[in-house]
Amino acid sequence: MKYLSQTLLDDLYNQTETAIEKTIGHWQQLPLHILKQSPGAGKWSAAQCLEHLNSYGRYYLPAIEKAFTASSLPPAIEFKSGILGNYFYKLMLTDSSGKIRKKMAAPKNHQPPANLDAAIVLGEFISQLEKTGQLLTAARQKNLGKVKVPISIAPYIKLKAGDVLLFFIAHIRRHMQQAERALKAAGSVTANAVPV
Amino acid sequence: MDQFQQLEKFISAVIPLDEAVLKQFIAPWTACSEKRKTILTRAGDTERYLYFVTEGIQRVYYFDEQGREATIVFTYPPSFGGVADSFLTQSPSRFFAETLTPSAFLKISFLQVDELMQQHREIEKFIRIATNYAFAGVLERLVEIQCFSAEEKFTALLKRSPHLLNLIPHKYIASYLGMDATNFSKLLGKIRL
Repeated sequence: MKYLSQTLLDDLYNQTETAIEKTIGHWQQLPLHILKQSPGAGKWSAAQCLEHLNSYGRYYLPAIEKAFTASSLPPAIEFKSGILGNYFYKLMLTDSSGKIRKKMAAPKNHQPPANLDAAIVLGEFISQLEKTGQLLTAARQKNLGKVKVPISIAPYIKLKAGDVLLFFIAHIRRHMQQAERALKAAGSVTANAVPV
Repeated sequence: MDQFQQLEKFISAVIPLDEAVLKQFIAPWTACSEKRKTILTRAGDTERYLYFVTEGIQRVYYFDEQGREATIVFTYPPSFGGVADSFLTQSPSRFFAETLTPSAFLKISFLQVDELMQQHREIEKFIRIATNYAFAGVLERLVEIQCFSAEEKFTALLKRSPHLLNLIPHKYIASYLGMDATNFSKLLGKIRL
């Protein structure tokens, strides 16, 4: 898959902005018990979905930043995704209704505990989204195909920074959609007004 | 109303200026916009601009090597922005200024303001009155910090700036109130009830 680098970064930045606006304008206003409510036996609460994302952000955001800082190669007009990178990206995608195409089990170290401080989890998630936006801005000066980032499951495998950004943000979208379904099941529609 | 008209209106509300002087004062300002979480001024750098905020929310904050952070002030339209003391004294800032949401400004350099102040006594007077307002605001906040409970501080902030709660991450509000995230969420839950 071939992309125009700046167009790709614009698209990813806009997706991140949309995610930030949703978490600040809506999720942050919800009572904490709604965020912590599981939609059914064995299913993740919204807070658990976000903690799962946080656990990846704690690895990938510093890893991407480190790779960017270490490289002074000029940006390229086009970015061509790698075979493995594109495969991971496709795995993360959901269909147009937000349904997951391929179900996967989270690795043990990325399985969120049930008992979470939802305010802390959401606060960290928003901070990570802010950081993601800053890295996407920094990415405009970087070569998305030549900068390489080691992946979390196998650090000896390095993928192109453009692919990592693509699947990292698709992964966020996937689990934010899952969190949205958990919140709907918990009745957030009637509880999002803030009486101030 | 465009950005320049907003600035004219803002200035005129502080002190009515002679039409010709107002036009001269407005002329050197230039428009700029910044994304979310963009640093406008770093600690150690001298503030070069006086900003007039026309869109978005920003903060001025303290941050040191020990990782201590304090949000000093939020700015949003219509108001001036940037690190005021560093701008006025043209000495290195002890604070950072950054955008918290996508923001738009008009800005003017210190040299331009300084020249205008030397040319027109009225403009110098305007800057003095604007500084007085800022000074009064700082003293009022000192009282809040020294005497108010966390809940009273939060109520005072909500009275001044009720929109902040829906537009910026709560960690910045917690930082302004001098609370950690957990205590802030408890306070928020209490105030909702």
